[in-house]
Amino acid sequence: MSVIVVGEVDGNDVKEISQQVAAVASGMGDVIGIVMGKGISDAAMKLSTSKIIIADDEALEYYDPVKFTSIVAQIVNQNNATKVLMGATTMGKDLGPRVAAELGWGYLGDCLEAGNEGFVRPNYAGKVLAKSNTTDSVVLSIRNNAYPAGESWSGSVENFSGEIPDSGLTTTTIENVGAGTIELTEASIVVSGGRGLESPENYDEHIRPLAAAMGAAAGASRAIVDAGWVTHSHQVGQTGKTVTPDLYMAIGISGAIQHLGGMSGSKFIVAINKDSEAPIFKVADYGIVGDLFEIIPLLKSKLEN
Amino acid sequence: MNIVVLVKMVPDTESRLEIVDGKVNESGFKYMVNPYDEFAVEQAVQFKEANGGKVTILSLFSNDGSIDTDLRKMMAIGADEAIVLRQDNYRGDKPSANATVLSNAIKEMEADLIIGGVQGIDYYQSATGPMIAHMLGIPHISGVTNLELNDGKFTAKRQVEGGLQIIECSNPLLVTCQKDMTKVRFPALKDIMMSKRKPFESRTVEPVESNDVETAECSLPPARGGGMIIEGESSEDKVDKLIEKLKTEAKVI
Ligand SMILES: Cc1cc2nc3c(=O)[nH]c(=O)nc-3n(C[C@H](O)[C@H](O)[C@H](O)COP(=O)(O)OP(=O)(O)OC[C@H]3O[C@@H](n4cnc5c(N)ncnc54)[C@H](O)[C@@H]3O)c2cc1C
Repeated sequence: MSVIVVGEVDGNDVKEISQQVAAVASGMGDVIGIVMGKGISDAAMKLSTSKIIIADDEALEYYDPVKFTSIVAQIVNQNNATKVLMGATTMGKDLGPRVAAELGWGYLGDCLEAGNEGFVRPNYAGKVLAKSNTTDSVVLSIRNNAYPAGESWSGSVENFSGEIPDSGLTTTTIENVGAGTIELTEASIVVSGGRGLESPENYDEHIRPLAAAMGAAAGASRAIVDAGWVTHSHQVGQTGKTVTPDLYMAIGISGAIQHLGGMSGSKFIVAINKDSEAPIFKVADYGIVGDLFEIIPLLKSKLEN
Repeated sequence: MNIVVLVKMVPDTESRLEIVDGKVNESGFKYMVNPYDEFAVEQAVQFKEANGGKVTILSLFSNDGSIDTDLRKMMAIGADEAIVLRQDNYRGDKPSANATVLSNAIKEMEADLIIGGVQGIDYYQSATGPMIAHMLGIPHISGVTNLELNDGKFTAKRQVEGGLQIIECSNPLLVTCQKDMTKVRFPALKDIMMSKRKPFESRTVEPVESNDVETAECSLPPARGGGMIIEGESSEDKVDKLIEKLKTEAKVI
């Protein structure tokens, strides 16, 4: 039984999430990796699957749902594969459903668990876990950090030789908005700020430098996104991003149910809030009751030393 | 320009989530318009105001009529009509079945643009939009933060890791909206009054076979063992203790 893993590269490497997915898939059958892109062959070879099919083509420079779906489906059919797995990245969440529709298979997005004992995925922003035990063919996307990554090693390599269709979509460029910043959903530490910061200047003065000092991504509550202090791409919660880092720091955030939905799957949670009754403390592994304007500068300077 | 807006009715975010016999007890749920879909309605109306055409709201739901008032509010934003597909035993967690029913309805509507929210805040699959596009044989762009229309050509900005992918496409096209896309207006009283006279059609549709994976069992996530407050003489003392714990207990820094 063969299982397909759709890998993604980032610069000269395979994404960590793709190696995690490769590790999950290795328990499900003979794993064939697919990596699509332009000029990605060297990086693609690092995907930890025993066989790797590389589609390296001018036409694949940017992610395109129509082209990528067609390639994945062709490889599934040639290999009689019964599962397709990918990371729940912006690509995976977009590609997975379309591949499922093309193959006529079921789709389970953003799985927290996937294996022979079944599949678990979050409903209601993680407030409910839904388990299923299908043995049918299925397309899965897997949440970052749900599994440890497989070791990077290279299997046998083949080049994709099928057709790449036209899609009608033309990507002109990728605009780097946050060059040098770490992506929230991929970060192992997230430092988030809320209304307790009182102003956008304080977000820039306290949250961003602390995040930088910790090698963390900077997040936010909806209150300060709605107030226009930071863009929505920072928002954590039920109508923002779901993050599952090793460490989540909630600073001046009350811990509304919609915020908790996006971060309560984190391994460790730190809360800093001046109100000892703030609901965020109920989910925090370590809480400090106090004034953030006093605590954050201390924390930052001590971490920098 | 003929625009179809996909609107999903989802349980209110304050809904009590209680599990009975491995299933979520949905009996007390109140439904609201999926927040991401409101951006789609607003964007569609803006295109109509600039270029003319028609905006149709399309929603698939059960026979429960309690949602109609909320859907009418979307018409007050400026949509021209609403079609609600009523299905016995409708479930929001069957993206493939729901995409089949919705795409069948859209096939008869000659849409230039089909637009919806990036995800439903009930099951978070982000699946129905791309599946509908595939069933219609048209391209899609998901998670769009900005959509412009110039000389019949769409330019979309799509959020990706570390940046924005700029994509051009002509119609027909399916787009799903991210939250930053546009600001949703508060309808004026006269628009609210007018919306009551706009066409609102309920159509019965049959359930369809699909390969959607059925949920076998639901559970609440294990409660977090939180609640530990770090005590100390001074802020500095607390910070020292926190750093110590993060290093030695949690081992995350
Ligand atoms: C449909 C819907 C969807 C939503 N989706 C989301 C979502 O995705 N994400 C999200 O975050 N919210 C979401 N919300 C909003 C949510 O309900 C809260 O309003 C929001 O999370 C509050 O943000 P906050 O914690 O920053 O602000 P507040 O609740 O105002 O909390 C500020 C906190 O800062 C503390 N504080 C103040 N000054 C200091 C100081 N000097 N030092 C230390 N602490 C201080 C206060 O004690 C307080 O606890 C949603 C709401 C709805 C209705």
